[in-house]
Amino acid sequence: MNRQINDTAAVTAKELRQLLRDPLSLALTIMFPILLIQLFAVIVTAFSATSYNISVVVSDLDGSSVSKILVDKLTSSHVIHVIQFLQTEEQALHAVQSGAATGAVIIPKGFGDALLNSRSAFIVLQTDNSKITSSALVQSAVTSSVQALSAMTAHGSGMYSAQVEMVLRPISGRPPSGDTFLPGMLGMITILGAFDDIVNAITRERERGTFPRMVLTPASILSIYSGKISATVVLNAIRTTLMVAIFILTGLVIRGNILLVYLTTTLIAMFTMSLGLLLSTRIRSSSTLTVLEIAITFPLFQLSGAVQSPEMLAPGGRAIAWMLPWTYGNDALRRVIYLGVGIDAIAINIIVLLVSSLVLLPIATLLSKRTI
Amino acid sequence: MSNEFRLLRRNRTAIIISLLIVPVFFTVSLGGATGGAGETFSPTTHIPIAFVDNDLTAASSRLYNAISSSGNFDNLVQGYREDNAVALLGTGRVFAVITVPEGFEKNLANGNAASLVVYVDDSVNGLEEELSSSLHRILRNFEPDLATESVASRVSSGIEIVRKGATISGFVFGLTIILALVTIFATFYEIAGGMSRESEDGTYARLLLSPTSLAAVMMGKSMYDLLLNVIRTFVVLGIAVYAYGGRPNTDFGTILALSLLISLLTMSFGFLISALGAGVRAVIIIEFFLVLFLFSFSGFIIDRELLRGISQTISYALPWAYGMELLRGTMLVGQPLSALGTQLTFVLASIALFYGLSYVLLRLSRERLVM
Repeated sequence: MNRQINDTAAVTAKELRQLLRDPLSLALTIMFPILLIQLFAVIVTAFSATSYNISVVVSDLDGSSVSKILVDKLTSSHVIHVIQFLQTEEQALHAVQSGAATGAVIIPKGFGDALLNSRSAFIVLQTDNSKITSSALVQSAVTSSVQALSAMTAHGSGMYSAQVEMVLRPISGRPPSGDTFLPGMLGMITILGAFDDIVNAITRERERGTFPRMVLTPASILSIYSGKISATVVLNAIRTTLMVAIFILTGLVIRGNILLVYLTTTLIAMFTMSLGLLLSTRIRSSSTLTVLEIAITFPLFQLSGAVQSPEMLAPGGRAIAWMLPWTYGNDALRRVIYLGVGIDAIAINIIVLLVSSLVLLPIATLLSKRTI
Repeated sequence: MSNEFRLLRRNRTAIIISLLIVPVFFTVSLGGATGGAGETFSPTTHIPIAFVDNDLTAASSRLYNAISSSGNFDNLVQGYREDNAVALLGTGRVFAVITVPEGFEKNLANGNAASLVVYVDDSVNGLEEELSSSLHRILRNFEPDLATESVASRVSSGIEIVRKGATISGFVFGLTIILALVTIFATFYEIAGGMSRESEDGTYARLLLSPTSLAAVMMGKSMYDLLLNVIRTFVVLGIAVYAYGGRPNTDFGTILALSLLISLLTMSFGFLISALGAGVRAVIIIEFFLVLFLFSFSGFIIDRELLRGISQTISYALPWAYGMELLRGTMLVGQPLSALGTQLTFVLASIALFYGLSYVLLRLSRERLVM
């Protein structure tokens, strides 16, 4: 047993020393989380901005005082920017079709008259739906302006409108900002980092011919693998620390025990490493394994709960998501970080990750023995 | 070209990853996440949501009926006390609590705004937005039936917004991203990775010593990769159309042509990177960041006009962003290619520029290798 521990420690030290001697891999280990977070900051900033300048054209065919109020509300919107007033409906529609504007609002003749006489009125809104977010924002801004006008005309004519307001109370108390992605990002960085470690640890050694030499030493395969996993655990702790520091700098409050965050990322890394060890027994080229790593990145973003929780996925996707042990890791991270739950609340998640790793590791060891 | 196919045949793992794993994984994960094109799917339908009625009036009862019969809340659970239901949030047994406060009907009858309090487990990403949007839709049409004159007046004086524009399913929207991602991802690795590997193995130098010209080498590799991209486009579209019912708003020929155009653009960039002497490891790192970079700045998920400052400038300089506009314009709203002339010109000019630059650089390095 002592021998096993000593061998594991020796392999761990060797792995870490090797990484320190490889500046490119070292830089990747450190820069990777920072760059990934920066790119997602761009996405989040774009989605959470309070004002936009989405181009919209308006054709006021009515020209009444009521339609002018609507135009005024549209021009003062923080979301849309009225770039042009056009004389005809065709011109307005053409502006959208040609890509000159994302939306066109057409106020037909008789609009004001209908409203003042308590009849229903309508406006036409044409949007370029190939720009999915922008068109949704235009629709929402125009709806708000129309609702404001409706309230004004109803009030002016002595009518009242019974309304039901909805008050949303998120239980974590966090502000509705972009930090919804951050725990998922931590999970993804843990997965990708651990996958990259396996490429460094096994396949490159195989390519250089140092792996068979290591196997020929008195250290057992299990010690070698345990040592490599331990090195990943150390690297993962560094990456997690870096990410937690970025979280805190961006204003995210970690409500749960920070040690649970480390425990969860460690288990995610161990599972990923075990799977990587298993794959490396079949895929012997480091570049093929890396490409496979990149190939599974996008599906994992979609299906492992990194961006959207499994509950929000379509039934097929939800079933796949709950079959992936990573989903349990990302779920645990979110609940520890946002809700501050304790170990009892994430016990199942921890067990799933642990059992999956414990199942994969012996299989990888067995297959590795056969292939050497 | 035949040399490239021979190499591919010898590496079965590469064939599986390039032609099957990448397109299948990407398309299936999209279908899994969003559901098929014809599916109307609301994420709040199946999850348990508690409904607590503290008002116990006719109006609150009608609200319950409106919510439960909307089709968006099929797992609405009654019978909890408010504090008990809220305590269950975060455990996975209840994901939200809709509470009708006391005085709900009274407020409506007096012409005041009545409130509905919704507690939500916001550790479930996206639930808050979905819940809010589903409930807003129900409340907009909610008729408490208080038999007052004013409510009837409100209905008759409404302003309708007639929405025009192509109706696009989330799946087909995602399909444009998947098609571009699969093409860019696989093509870049095949060209830049292949060239770098050949350089490291020494076979590239030997190839240059043969009577084959550099232009023929580049052309052969491009033709080979174009053929692979035809297969990949078939795989992605085949799964999208036959497994998930995706119906793009343009013909297959246009989609294939655009997919090949994006692959040519990526190939030319791949040649440029390999001409700069990047090794296999560097190519992989560049590829990873290229995909992430394009994801952020090329209109994959954020429309260009929503970006600000330097992010928007980067987006305008990236030729792939114009490729995405071409795909979106044709596949989503059915625009003909002739209507997207600016984007087409920019992509074609970028291809010519990248190929030209990489040819010059490879030629210079050839002279160094051969000398």
